[in-house]
Amino acid sequence: MEENVITETKTSLNDVISVVYFNAENAVFDVKNNFLTLDAKLKNEQGETEDKKFPRVYLHRAFPFDNPFSYISVLDKDNKEIGIIRELKDLDENSQNLIVDELHRKYYAPSIKTIQSVKERYGYSYWKVTSDAGDLSFTLQDTFRSILKVGNNRVFIVDIDNNRYEIPDVEALDFKSYKKIELYL
Amino acid sequence: MVQIDKMPNELLKKLDERGISESSIKLTVKADMNRDGVYCDNWIVATDTDLICIGGSKIILPKENRKITETNKLRVEFGEISFEYYQLKELTEFKVEDLISTAALTAKKVIEGQDESANEVDAPPAEFQLITYFSNTQKSNFHLFVKYLGKLKEKGEVEFDEADKAEELFCPKCGNRYADAKRKICMKCMDRNKIIMRTLPFFFKYKFYIIIILITIILSSAVGVVAPYVNQAFFIDEVLTETGRFFGQILLVLFMILGMRLVDMFVGMISGVANASIAANVTYDLKKVIFSAIERLSISFFTSRQTGGLMTQVNNDANTIYWFFCDGFPYFLINITKIVVILIIMLILNPILTLISLVIIPFVIVFIYMIFEKLGKLHSKRYSSARGMNSILSDVLGGVRVVKAFSKEKDEIKRFNSRSERLATNDQNLGVYANTRFPAINLLMYFSNIVIWGVGGWMVIKGEFNYGMLMTFIVYINMIYSPMYFFVDMAYWLSDALNAMHRLIEIMDAVPDVVESANPVPMPDIHGKISFENIEFSYEKNRKIIDGITFDIEAGTILGIVGPTGSGKSTLANLLIRLYDVKTGEIKIDDVNVKDISFNDLRQNISIVSQETYLFAGTILENIKYAKPDATYDEVIEAAKAASAHDFIMKLPDAYATMIGFGYKDLSGGERQRISISRAILRDPKILILDEATASMDTETERHIQSALEKLVKGRTTIMIAHRLSTLRNADKLIVIENGKMPEYGTHLELINKKGIYFKLYKLQMDALKNIGVEE
Repeated sequence: MEENVITETKTSLNDVISVVYFNAENAVFDVKNNFLTLDAKLKNEQGETEDKKFPRVYLHRAFPFDNPFSYISVLDKDNKEIGIIRELKDLDENSQNLIVDELHRKYYAPSIKTIQSVKERYGYSYWKVTSDAGDLSFTLQDTFRSILKVGNNRVFIVDIDNNRYEIPDVEALDFKSYKKIELYL
Repeated sequence: MVQIDKMPNELLKKLDERGISESSIKLTVKADMNRDGVYCDNWIVATDTDLICIGGSKIILPKENRKITETNKLRVEFGEISFEYYQLKELTEFKVEDLISTAALTAKKVIEGQDESANEVDAPPAEFQLITYFSNTQKSNFHLFVKYLGKLKEKGEVEFDEADKAEELFCPKCGNRYADAKRKICMKCMDRNKIIMRTLPFFFKYKFYIIIILITIILSSAVGVVAPYVNQAFFIDEVLTETGRFFGQILLVLFMILGMRLVDMFVGMISGVANASIAANVTYDLKKVIFSAIERLSISFFTSRQTGGLMTQVNNDANTIYWFFCDGFPYFLINITKIVVILIIMLILNPILTLISLVIIPFVIVFIYMIFEKLGKLHSKRYSSARGMNSILSDVLGGVRVVKAFSKEKDEIKRFNSRSERLATNDQNLGVYANTRFPAINLLMYFSNIVIWGVGGWMVIKGEFNYGMLMTFIVYINMIYSPMYFFVDMAYWLSDALNAMHRLIEIMDAVPDVVESANPVPMPDIHGKISFENIEFSYEKNRKIIDGITFDIEAGTILGIVGPTGSGKSTLANLLIRLYDVKTGEIKIDDVNVKDISFNDLRQNISIVSQETYLFAGTILENIKYAKPDATYDEVIEAAKAASAHDFIMKLPDAYATMIGFGYKDLSGGERQRISISRAILRDPKILILDEATASMDTETERHIQSALEKLVKGRTTIMIAHRLSTLRNADKLIVIENGKMPEYGTHLELINKKGIYFKLYKLQMDALKNIGVEE
């Protein structure tokens, strides 16, 4: 009884909730047929460490805008979390590169360099932009609600099909482009 | 051959070079990215045995010589940048996977010599293979591709099903995206006049009033235009001047002025009365049309991102449209006439001075236009910062309990202050701008007066022009500016009004997905036998949520539905009450297809209590009686008792008369749930659907309701959807739903013996109970 009391006072959230954090010792990522695989050392229910191979794992950012390259959840094929990568540098170099590649692919959204034209018609707007993927045109419905401000100057535009386009820094846009989007910010 | 996207000739040529003849191709689709995520036309081509991905783009080259001439036409080629090849038999389980902004087509690669059936839990499963990436725009095409590919692998042959014909997404005229592919109306190519014509009928009903308004406006502006002439030119030149025709008859002029004033006043009164009566009626009509969409349109209209937002603007839109027709449009006509008439009068008074003014006026207009444009931007900035501040205000006040509990008052004040400051800044900017620019406009106008005074004065001295005429002329030149203001501003309100009218038309044009049968089978007495036959359903095109489900429920029995979240359990209930219609298969009640039953019969006999309860603002009594307005007090109390709601209701000071809903008494989740169960019970339906109805209650209350429900469900067909298996212990039959399919169907015992998914779930929940020392 007495012991219990003592341990209880020491208990912090950390002791109660066990999160598997991956590092170079317990996780190695690889790529096969363009998909990410994982070799991990995980504790089983008995507390023993065993080797587990995952032929395909999925990644999901916990803080996609603030911390895109830390706290990355690693999920198995049933979308169950296997563990979390706290910092990329915790992993070996090859794994780091593979994770970065995979994240770029999953979260890929063309980055808008200049806005050529914006035309509003009856509540819809038609955009022509130049992006890192070349010239694009897309349509927004309800322009105000389709332009999401993330943080100070970062903007995401979500089109009618739910495709996303990013403007990493609106204030870094050239003057003419900025004037075109200014009204919606 | 099935071409979800049509292959261009240059691609066929390229494929031919690669040794793939057109005749061997069975199925094609186009992605807009390749496997490396590079934007290009990536064609996925399936033959009997192979799957080929060829990425690239159309390139246009001059033939042989570099110069392009008439005789030397262009050569079109497919510029290949990526090429992948798979054996079709190696790939299984094609799947469209959603990424964040894009999607991917993936498959499983069967490893040679590995037996699929031996694929135990721990054995390494087949490898995965990424086929291509594509943007969300093409997702529906790819779902279709996966479906046809399955057929191709199965039968070796595919034929196109006309029902799968993709909606044309882009306007053939301008190449822009249709806002709603079903309506095929391109926002960019749509004619303004058409929109206005479509809205006009609302006003034809009141044409009498509109004519009155028009006449009155014409009269009052006529008086307005003539008045300066009488006050100035006529008075000074004809009455006060010795040579005038009416010299000395001051009284005449005074009566004339007074008469005009009186006419002006009466005309104003009549137009005010006409305006007031038509305004109320037209906006009422408009709101009625928009709001009655609730009855006419299916639920999918309100939940879809495309159309759902339309309804939130009912109020503003009705006012904007009214304003356009009853204020904006008449004033538009009047102002045009005014300008023309004034110009004519000016020309008659003095052509030279008129020409001088015509040089100055355009400058003033351009200046006004520039200022208005900037002013518009400042206004919308101010508006959005005001909105931002108000949202914080209602947010914090609504959550004041949480703010206080975490002692975040200081932070919230800071947050509020920053928004408030932004509003103040924007207010100030607007004020400063308006107060510095408008005097500048006035000065500019004044400048034109000075020029006229100068030139006109000189003419008067030379005797070419009368003093009174000059004064009148100056009044007219100033009068011409106010219609100008109107036209400068018109661009803004015209686009606002057109947007509003367009939304109205969109609502009027929307076609309900679920249509009531024109000749419904009369169902006076439903027994409650339900059968689902081979049901398929998808919310999003080509993405099945329910995939081939068949089961029967005997009248008066209980069916339990188990399955993970998102597996399609609630969808089954939605299909039964026809919030949505099945894509294939039939749902029957008493052997009658639900599509042949009138909405009234169908919904009168089915009550649904879902996991999300909605209570309307009003008393508890009104909320319980919602489904049966003529219920007696006895019935209400019985229903509330059955749902274990009576006791907590009686603890409230106003009991059944307690006001609930926004801004009133806050009920807990369990209490709200019990009220909505009372509502369902009161209706006394033949078929009862409990969709996680007791999930948010503590176990004791759940037991209470369960025992009440046990009595209640006797003789009623009941569908119970639940996570907790204990909730379902009375079910006669159980079905397990997983990924839209129904792997298990039977009684509790049968399913336990089957040792499948249900057994696993059962064991898990029993173990959990054992762990905390409860054993059943």
